[in-house]
Amino acid sequence: MELHADEVTRRAIPATRWGTAWWLAVAVVIAGIGAWEWKMRSLGLRAGDLDDSKSHWAVERRKVATGGHDGVVIIGSSRILFDTSLDVWQELTGLRPIQLALPGTNPRPHLKDLAENSDFAGLLLVGVAPDIFFTDWPGIPVFAGLVDFWHEETPSSRFGHRLGLLLQRRLAFIEDDYRLGTLIDRAAPFEDREGVRGPIRDVWKIFENGDDRQTTLWRRIETDERLRDHARWVWGPFSGEPRIEDADAARIIAETKRHVDLIRARGGEVVFIRAPSAGLYLESENQGQPRARTWDPLLAETAAYGIHFEDHESMRNLTVPEWSHLSAESQRVFTREYVRLLVDNVPWLGRRRDGASEP
Amino acid sequence: MVFNSLTFIVFFALLLLLHRLPLPWTAKKVNLLLASYVFYAAWNPPFVLLLWISTAIDWTAARRVYEARSVRARRGWLVVSLAVNLGFLAFFKYGEFLLRNWQALVSSFGVEYVPPAWNIILPVGISFYTFQTMAYTLDVYLGRSKPLDSLLDFSLFVTFFPQLVAGPIVRPGQLVPQFARPVQATRDQLLWGLALMTLGLFMKVVIADSGLAASADAVFGSDKPVGFADAWLGTLAFSGQIFCDFAGYSTIAIGAALCLGFALPDNFRMPYAAIGFSDFWRRWHISLSTWLRDYLYIPLGGNRGSEARTYVNLMLTMLLGGLWHGASWTFVVWGGLHGFYLASERWIRGRTGVHGDPAGAWNRIALALTTYLLVNVTWVFFRAETFEGAARILAGMAGLAAEPVAVLPTVFMVKVAVIVTGIVATHWLMRKRSLDAVVARAPWWLTGLVLAAMLFAVITTQGSGEAFIYFQF
Repeated sequence: MELHADEVTRRAIPATRWGTAWWLAVAVVIAGIGAWEWKMRSLGLRAGDLDDSKSHWAVERRKVATGGHDGVVIIGSSRILFDTSLDVWQELTGLRPIQLALPGTNPRPHLKDLAENSDFAGLLLVGVAPDIFFTDWPGIPVFAGLVDFWHEETPSSRFGHRLGLLLQRRLAFIEDDYRLGTLIDRAAPFEDREGVRGPIRDVWKIFENGDDRQTTLWRRIETDERLRDHARWVWGPFSGEPRIEDADAARIIAETKRHVDLIRARGGEVVFIRAPSAGLYLESENQGQPRARTWDPLLAETAAYGIHFEDHESMRNLTVPEWSHLSAESQRVFTREYVRLLVDNVPWLGRRRDGASEP
Repeated sequence: MVFNSLTFIVFFALLLLLHRLPLPWTAKKVNLLLASYVFYAAWNPPFVLLLWISTAIDWTAARRVYEARSVRARRGWLVVSLAVNLGFLAFFKYGEFLLRNWQALVSSFGVEYVPPAWNIILPVGISFYTFQTMAYTLDVYLGRSKPLDSLLDFSLFVTFFPQLVAGPIVRPGQLVPQFARPVQATRDQLLWGLALMTLGLFMKVVIADSGLAASADAVFGSDKPVGFADAWLGTLAFSGQIFCDFAGYSTIAIGAALCLGFALPDNFRMPYAAIGFSDFWRRWHISLSTWLRDYLYIPLGGNRGSEARTYVNLMLTMLLGGLWHGASWTFVVWGGLHGFYLASERWIRGRTGVHGDPAGAWNRIALALTTYLLVNVTWVFFRAETFEGAARILAGMAGLAAEPVAVLPTVFMVKVAVIVTGIVATHWLMRKRSLDAVVARAPWWLTGLVLAAMLFAVITTQGSGEAFIYFQF
């Protein structure tokens, strides 16, 4: 019959010395990966620097849903993520925060989610990077959809994440920013076209990540002038033009207040933290999102406690190598300083600080 | 679970081990069936229920069709099968699309209707396994085959994990007889299967995801007009991406099945070397095009009626084939364009009397390139999410974009040019050759080195386990 292409399928096996070919392939791959691993370690990558993937974040988010709803949770962008030492937090308060801040991501959708779709009644630290928080930009696409992802994540993805951690703890080359394709894109000697932001203007590796999403500025950014200058260049261009409109600021603050009130109504508390920035970046923020039109009304309208690094002498002279994130050493100093302030000024934390050492 | 994931590597290694244990054949088949359910449940466990329902319905319907004494009863049981399978598709895949179009229709008559929010998750691969189970019942109804004797074999046919979620869409006759007798992959089958899996992973992870996806995304994601070079390179990038993504999946599926001792049919044969569109559809997604031919085009009458009726059948088949890919009018237009191309080719061949490849290498090359370029025009509708988006790209491709903006970084432009040229050249060089034959003629050390290069690239490119494009269909 014409229709039948469905005789039993047979597949021919090409005649070759398959065993020998595969032995050769495996030997070459082992040698190649060994050399690659050595090269990556020589560039400063290390085993145990974990991929800050969606799955890695989802593990933390699920902690909030399964018992962490009355603990300390941090949301925000990369600054509060890089600039917070969870160990220092725990040392000072006996509490280990759940770190949910995300690089290049607006925390407001996460504030909304915790306020409207959870029973969260703990202490919420909201990191405010003015050029992200006071915009409607949701953030970089790689973290899009996380608000839903954590409870929709497939069993396969969860298991794969665990397997990935096993490998990442042993191999340094498993690093998003040092994938073969990424390296080729960034090393290609082509000028960008007018108006196009190519891979050369991507944010290259600037942080290391560990368990509980403890994140710290990559040491090479402190020591390698070329990488540090590249990071500063990427943060630009700094136009210096005022960007935020009063109406937009008012709308964003009103929305934030609504969500803060919801959390407070359940017995929780919300505080805002403006971590340090420096150089042209800070100048640009001061011009684009001046404190008088953003930070100050945010605290006034929400009646929340806030810590702005410019208000505290001990936070003003910290090391900000690439103008946006603190060095590893300054991270610990900054955390120590802001936790002390929180303990002194936020009653919620005072009540929960049981069994901790005196700050 | 996706093939390009660590979870799959562990799953597959365990399954291979289990399959090589000295167990009775029935036990091995049960293992394969349970493993296939685990494979599917790894996305969303409750959706395994759909597989069970689909299996149970078609198992029962086919038997009843075969045993029925009256035409009415035979038709009735066929309708049950079609209603359940197409009902699943209508609900899960086309529900929102139908509601939105109903809303547009009634609003054109001045009726205010706001459809309810449609938060239904699309079960992965539903279009593939519903077509596969329907084919079984249809074959029995059409008298092409008898119902199977073993529910276990039928369940395994429906669920066999390598081809469960993205094909190849396998016919009962192609696969089920392989379940009848104990099979174990020979050493060479296993190693060739692993080689195919390596090739498929290379196509997916290195070429599609790392090499081309960003360029296609940048161009099709632009909300501003794009110029001639960006529009063409973005579309060419997508043509390479979707081929390497989908053919990569099929290659891994074929390789995985072979490692277990089973043979799945080819799904692609160098489609970008096609000369004409009937040739293209003999080379692209072969298992779908033959399914549509056998279960839609021919039952509609095929080319047995009048000339006009043949063109209508062709268009209907391709329009529905387009809709099969997704619940959007852009997919329908994609199918319609292919139907138009096929009909035009048929008309031209009928008038000129030229059948088969034209004489002269340059003529063949020119026609193959023309075919490829016209196929690219259809990819615009396939990839664009809206007609506005498609119009923006097409205007750019025609050099008619008003105040176009540059979108692609130079390095992406170079990558797309190099990779797509490589893909098209490879297809042309292998137009009349099979991969098996090429590998058989290569020295063993070259095969080993090529495998090593692909594996090294896959491992160092890693990838974040992006889902295959065809999962959404």
